[in-house]
Amino acid sequence: MEEKEFILQLLNPKTQNNAFQKLLSDYKRPLYNHIRNIVLDHDDTNDVLQNTFIKVFQNLNNFKGESKLYSWIYRIATNESITFINKKAKLNSKTSQELKTKIIENLEADIHFDGNEIQIKLQKAMLTLPEKQQLVFKMRYFEEIKYEEMSTILGTSVGALKASYHLAVKKIENYMHKN
Amino acid sequence: MNEFKINNENKITSGFTTPEGYFDDFSIDTNNRIILPKSRIKVISINTKRWVTSVAAVLIIAFSITFFTKMEVNNSDDNVLMENYITNNSEISQYDLITLLDKKDIENLSVELNLNDTKMDEEFANTNEIEYYLTE
Repeated sequence: MEEKEFILQLLNPKTQNNAFQKLLSDYKRPLYNHIRNIVLDHDDTNDVLQNTFIKVFQNLNNFKGESKLYSWIYRIATNESITFINKKAKLNSKTSQELKTKIIENLEADIHFDGNEIQIKLQKAMLTLPEKQQLVFKMRYFEEIKYEEMSTILGTSVGALKASYHLAVKKIENYMHKN
Repeated sequence: MNEFKINNENKITSGFTTPEGYFDDFSIDTNNRIILPKSRIKVISINTKRWVTSVAAVLIIAFSITFFTKMEVNNSDDNVLMENYITNNSEISQYDLITLLDKKDIENLSVELNLNDTKMDEEFANTNEIEYYLTE
């Protein structure tokens, strides 16, 4: 099915329910992983994921089709996640980086994390990166999103993304080697 | 110790997990929040009706002003009625008045009534009730 046709189905009250079920089924898992990599906590991810789908549904009329539906949905999810983590940090009188550090430090006690020592170490290594680099690294390494798609989601050129990922890898390897 | 090379290692996953059946429950919850409210409940936005609220508020204030102004007029009517009632139906005797009025009040009364000896003589000369006043 073509994307235009799918969007029309989402907008048509008669076909809306079925089309939305398909959208949920296709996107809930990859979007969960994307959001979880940013906000880190499961319950927070659940809230942000629901808000993302609500925003997608409410703004379908405004979707102009200039980018792919996939990029548009990921852009909403990314913005929602960043806004959420910033707000939560502000509420706790911390920077978003400090908040993430606290969550990662308590990762072993998190019932929704079953990582081993190297996985915790990798999470800690990512914290040493600037926020944009963290995002680029996670989207490329964990989610395996292509640079071209990442470029339309983040509004950054492919070249800049490649450079950012390369730098991130170097810093992470350095951290993993030293610690 | 060998240097750590991320691309030479086995892929490291994030380690994040979800509760069992989470994604099934998520679909149900999200449908309840998005599809059902939209199809079953007609949502009336408060924002779109804001002008109605504003007009209602203005009308209430306008009616309130009229009402309270009227209340004040009624109060003054009530005062007149009360005075008349006291004047016509009061059981206050002249003895009570004498007790209640002090020297200053009496002086004020004499100024208001402009009483003097000449006037009083004229009054006594022309009234048949002089004896009554004298005994009172």
